[in-house]
Amino acid sequence: MVNKEWLTVALAKGRMLPPALELFERAGIGCGQLRETSRKLVFTVEEHKLRFILAKPMDIPTYVEYGVADLGVVGKDVLMEQEKELYELLDLKIGPCRLAVAQKCGGGKFNGGYVATKYPRVADRYFQGQGKQAEVIKLHGSIELAPLLNLADAIVDLVSTGKTLSEHHLEEIEVIAWITSRLVANPGSYQVKGARVTDLLQRLEAVLIEEVAKPC
Amino acid sequence: MNEKLRRLLTPEGVRDLLPEMAGQKRELEKRIQASFSRWGYGEVSTPAFEHSANFVDEMKAELTDKVYRFLDERGRTLVLRPDFTLPLARVVATHLTANPLPLRLCYGGDIYRYTHGQQGKQRVVTQAGVELIGSGCAGADAEVIALAVDVLQELGLVEFTFCLGHAGFLEGLLAAYEVAEAERETIKFYFNSKDFVSLKTFVQSLDLSENAKKAVLRIPWLRGGKEVLGEAAKLVPGGAADEPLSLLAEVWEVLADYDASKYITLDLGLVRMLDYYTGMVFEGYTGGMGYALCGGGRYDQLLGNFGSQKPAVGFAINVDHVLKVLQRVKEMPALSKLVFVGYGTKQRAAAFVEAARLRRQGERVLVDVQERPQGAAWAEGERLGAAKVIYLG
Repeated sequence: MVNKEWLTVALAKGRMLPPALELFERAGIGCGQLRETSRKLVFTVEEHKLRFILAKPMDIPTYVEYGVADLGVVGKDVLMEQEKELYELLDLKIGPCRLAVAQKCGGGKFNGGYVATKYPRVADRYFQGQGKQAEVIKLHGSIELAPLLNLADAIVDLVSTGKTLSEHHLEEIEVIAWITSRLVANPGSYQVKGARVTDLLQRLEAVLIEEVAKPC
Repeated sequence: MNEKLRRLLTPEGVRDLLPEMAGQKRELEKRIQASFSRWGYGEVSTPAFEHSANFVDEMKAELTDKVYRFLDERGRTLVLRPDFTLPLARVVATHLTANPLPLRLCYGGDIYRYTHGQQGKQRVVTQAGVELIGSGCAGADAEVIALAVDVLQELGLVEFTFCLGHAGFLEGLLAAYEVAEAERETIKFYFNSKDFVSLKTFVQSLDLSENAKKAVLRIPWLRGGKEVLGEAAKLVPGGAADEPLSLLAEVWEVLADYDASKYITLDLGLVRMLDYYTGMVFEGYTGGMGYALCGGGRYDQLLGNFGSQKPAVGFAINVDHVLKVLQRVKEMPALSKLVFVGYGTKQRAAAFVEAARLRRQGERVLVDVQERPQGAAWAEGERLGAAKVIYLG
């Protein structure tokens, strides 16, 4: 242990939680209690002076930005959408997928039009960068519905296997970015709790390097 | 929202401060300036707007799209000052050329910048800072850092860290490994935003030797005490970064004598985006705050642009950020309690005398605007939030 300061880490509830916990466990930080399904949102691991808080993925950058959490584990998609001034320390390689543009099968080249997405700012930036005029429509879920009901010509959404898309007769036409979960830090915490952050970073990186070296 | 109501609100990025907050902020600025003054720094005041040529030529990409520009009556472009270092450099080069060096100057006031994208960002920021001009030695570097530490301590902050780096270290390392100019800028950008994931992806994609890649990717880990300087030296072939590293070692020694090195973390990946830094750079942070409380560094070329080449080093404190921290840890300088002086018939002059006496003692005194019976005066004092009521009847 480097010193006695507590470190608070915000983790996303939902499907990204089990792989994140597995990573911390392999880094030697037992956090089995977080696996129990309960309504508890704050967990402490006394041995490592670590506190975990569970939050909605979209809220994690906010918790870290305001210093409620020193560190956070959050998808690159959320970081791209929110553009907060957080330090992006490590690619945890969790939940690999891509942020992609999709449209109805056989739609030809997409040259602009209505785009439905959970990521309006990313979509705006992307199409502007391409010189295409896109009218972005913000939705909160079931984005695949939008083209089917002619609400939008295309969608921007996370794609991992592409199964959901094909079930809805949609095809992926462009990849905007490759997404994984990242370890982010509050700049103040990164400096003031530097030794603690470095220690955790080293433990996690060691696990990740080991993983890459592992033969498939 | 209707149009009339909208007009009553401030534009985005600026805000009103109400009495309590404005009072605290003024008090905070006074205390910071008092610290500067105790270290022998003399205050300089410069106008809020100047000819754009003074700024736009000097500050390059980082600031040019962020300044407020407008025209004067003859159609010349003026800008609202986006920082204080450039105006001070101009003052030194024009009015203070005959003064003995080193010059110790300080300033305080608002700077104006367009901010984009991020939420909650203010477009008018209150700064207070110093410039130490005419000395290029490590002692000058250390003095301004020690002064910054002293100011934060004086304000009652306990938990803070200064990270200290050198603009020449990364530059020297990238040059030694012959990294192309455009690629250097990208690498510096990632270091500045501490986006180590993008840094890694970018560096891996470059056509560089494995040693070069390893060296660049090792820099984020070079944080801590004096010991990191030794490891840093080994990363750079041919001693290309020896000068920055020995300078940092020397600054560290001087800071140890100031008893300030316990607040310092060396961070060789520290990059501040303004182009004018040439030497040591530093930033001050406190726990949980997502932005620096203060920052600065050495800029030895800048004054030359105003026709008077002199080494210079300085820093600026973001007063708004410090205020926010102090409010959070409840270390705000408390205003003295309010006293209410009421008076009855023919007692007005006596009331004014009493109020004047109390004010000379430093009390905050409200005097009633009209005579009232005693009971009514007490009620009035209470209604206005006075902690004490004095009645002359």
